[in-house]
Amino acid sequence: MKALCWNGIDDLRVERVPDPAILDPGDAIVRVRLSSVCGSDLPLISGRMPTMKPGDILGREFLGEVVETGPAVRHRGRGDRVIVAAAIGCGKCRFCQTGRSALCDNSNPQPEWTESAYGHGTGGAFGSGHAFGGYAGSHAEYVRVPFVDHNGIRVPDGIPDETAVFVSGAVPTGFAAADMARIEPGDVVAVWGCGGVGQMAMRCARLLGAAGVIGIDRRPDRLEAAQMKAGAEPLDDTRVDLFDALQAMTGGRGPDVCIDAVGMTAEGTEGAVLRAMVACCRKGGTLSVIGDHAGHMDRFPMGAAVNKGLTIRMGPPDGRHTAERLFGLIGSGDLDPSYLMTHKWPLDDAARGYHMFRTRTDNCMRVVFAP
Amino acid sequence: MIGTVRRSAGHGMAGTAERWTAIMGGVVLGLAGARRGDWLGLALAAAGGGLVLAGAGAVPLAERVRDAAAMRRAHPEPRTVQANVTIRAGREAVFRHWRNLSHLPRLMDHLDRVEVLSATRSRWVARGPGGVPVVWHSVIDKERPDELISWHTEEGADLPHRGSVLFRDAPGGRGTEVSFTLAYDPPGGAGGRAVAALFGAAPEQQAREALRRLKCLMETGTQPTIAGQPRGGRAPGDRKR
Repeated sequence: MKALCWNGIDDLRVERVPDPAILDPGDAIVRVRLSSVCGSDLPLISGRMPTMKPGDILGREFLGEVVETGPAVRHRGRGDRVIVAAAIGCGKCRFCQTGRSALCDNSNPQPEWTESAYGHGTGGAFGSGHAFGGYAGSHAEYVRVPFVDHNGIRVPDGIPDETAVFVSGAVPTGFAAADMARIEPGDVVAVWGCGGVGQMAMRCARLLGAAGVIGIDRRPDRLEAAQMKAGAEPLDDTRVDLFDALQAMTGGRGPDVCIDAVGMTAEGTEGAVLRAMVACCRKGGTLSVIGDHAGHMDRFPMGAAVNKGLTIRMGPPDGRHTAERLFGLIGSGDLDPSYLMTHKWPLDDAARGYHMFRTRTDNCMRVVFAP
Repeated sequence: MIGTVRRSAGHGMAGTAERWTAIMGGVVLGLAGARRGDWLGLALAAAGGGLVLAGAGAVPLAERVRDAAAMRRAHPEPRTVQANVTIRAGREAVFRHWRNLSHLPRLMDHLDRVEVLSATRSRWVARGPGGVPVVWHSVIDKERPDELISWHTEEGADLPHRGSVLFRDAPGGRGTEVSFTLAYDPPGGAGGRAVAALFGAAPEQQAREALRRLKCLMETGTQPTIAGQPRGGRAPGDRKR
């Protein structure tokens, strides 16, 4: 089959590789119909997150059709149209059973990487490097899905592929950012980063009762989408003093909730985002960190965070746990992520697609590959 | 099926992981720059190098053995290795699994087989360094059903060591806490070699790995794997497309 492989820093190529096979009785093979880029891929590609090995297949946000199942699979079968979240859960451990599949105890075949770096091993994930198990990703014609009874999420009829594909990544991630912030009526929510996840966080914050939402970014096209599609007030932090602007928009209180939807960047600016969130957030407010982080962050303003009485919530989302609710919001017309797909390209053009996504050219929000 | 699932590079990956830890552990995120191929190099070194000492800067085992005398002087006391895990299963089921000693090779890569000779005696066969079989007999000296199993190698064994597993209810109905302890002579001594045969060169890590596998087996009936999945990359001169 064809697959997009990482061959070294910034060296992506679509190659011929063997088709995946069932390796465990609980596996399924899924024929990929759509596979989206994700901001978290960029630190892997650039080597900033140095956990890739040459030949690894990228891709972690996808929709497809089950074509083969292992003998232990009970609840999924050939022909099922499914989405699969990046984080792989075993479905049986305490975390999977309580809606935190990304913390799965059993899905990572090489947990010693994160065990030694973080104290405890994290779960496995598709196309996310070897710290997360080294599972082959979805930018390919076929992908093997372990523990498919747990990880394969059936897509309800009537929701088109182009909408549903994002329920495997950007939608539940944005939703989790808003949900874990425990928004109260009247709250103003500021979201740093207006990419796919930020857009969904803004829209979901509205749905969860925010009185106002502010979207912070530097790209005019993304700010426009934040305003037109997600109902946010756009704020370009290269044009205004961010602190002053946020205080002016909130009667000097500061936003009640500040969401980090930026995460690790190629430039290493994540510390600046978190420091700005601490400074801008109202006293007693909440920081919700959904962006991708991997290593240490120095110069965290702990004094300000403590003395302002801030609550910090963070962590990877469980896309599987919230999918039903999110499909419900899509079905009722409250949520429509399809506008994130600014480009739909053949898999053959994937390397060029990543270049566009990374350089934010042609107003690219998300390029999605169709093998 | 389950019994045949083996991790490819168990102890070898440890070295890679620890280097990754060092990188994530501070400075280097900003270094941004694992140079191209570095991680391949590490991975190859780890996978191909066989017995590499995690935590000791990737010292080959041969050197470690040569330094045995020095190690003995440095660590005259018996050594203890302990690993702990919580398993989402009843104490009785977890106890029963371990008590059937013939299951143990599923949990420990270096163990070839355990033959149960009687209610308390067993014969253990491990693959030692270089693939040479290492054989010893063990006796269960204490057993409290659903609570404790402890054993020691028989009197006169070349490679003496002791082991125990404790099973406790986790609070709040959260399953079973398992503690696995091994005590052995300093690494250079005979017992140390037995433990190396049993656990490879990084006993702490391999003890943890054994409990991780036990947990995964009890909870899911299988072990996660990526062995055999597709990957790209061409050898130099390979023109396939």
